[in-house]
Amino acid sequence: MEIKIFKVGKEKPEEVEIRCHEMTEEVREIVAFVKTRQGQLTGMQEGKQYEVAVTDLAYVEAVDNKVFLYTQKQVYETRQKLYELEELLREKYFLRVSKSLLLNLMKVQSIKPAMNGRMLAVLRGGEEIIITRKYVAELKKALRGGS
Amino acid sequence: MQGKEFWIDFVRTFFMVTTLITLVFFVVGQILAPEQTFGYQVFSAPLVYALVGTVPNLVLYSKRELRVKELLLRKVLQLLLIEAGVSFVALYGAGEYWRQPVMIATLLGSIFFVYVAATFISWVGNLLSAKALDRELAEFQKMNG
Repeated sequence: MEIKIFKVGKEKPEEVEIRCHEMTEEVREIVAFVKTRQGQLTGMQEGKQYEVAVTDLAYVEAVDNKVFLYTQKQVYETRQKLYELEELLREKYFLRVSKSLLLNLMKVQSIKPAMNGRMLAVLRGGEEIIITRKYVAELKKALRGGS
Repeated sequence: MQGKEFWIDFVRTFFMVTTLITLVFFVVGQILAPEQTFGYQVFSAPLVYALVGTVPNLVLYSKRELRVKELLLRKVLQLLLIEAGVSFVALYGAGEYWRQPVMIATLLGSIFFVYVAATFISWVGNLLSAKALDRELAEFQKMNG
């Protein structure tokens, strides 16, 4: 795929145009990447496609090889992989807190102790997310500005 | 805890418990029966007790992350299995001295006390860490919000 970059004046809006033969997985990935950079993710719910603002997301979870986006009230399925989202959402204050879950730190109301060195993140809606022992250290680092 | 992490922890716990039991045998033996002598078979005692104390850790294994109530329930089961295993070894494997009901009751009581105390101390440590993280989270959200 050829890449062309044209500079435009401040008066014109910036845009990304993709010319392709067909909508392949690769093209979808590029679109998803650009949208994520703009604070949007594409989610599917009952066969319909929705644009979900990253700031509305409470957490992202992988279940049985599928990845789901959770807002306080809605759940959407996404085609993106958890590791891709981890990379893309790092700047948006998302942190991996277990093998299968990315947590939006801005949506956490409080942190409580769980057993065996684990922690519980209580979300603003009251939902509780387990932070496994392995990732508690990562959380400390992130909160202290290390990530 | 899952997969490789669980098994590393399992092996580490086994060797840690073996060392501590050997230390306890040494200290308690020096105090209660300093004149007592043993054959080579005594070297197997810490290993057997450590195995009996560590194998019940398997009930904590789960492929998915356990909820707090599930973990609590499994920890109770773990304690019961440790008590049962130690009772079995005391009744059939240890010397006559350990077969007295008073000795077995003391042993089981001590295990219960140590288990509950260790769980409680670990929970208090966790609570303090959680409180510190909670404060840091509030700062983080204020700074970035």
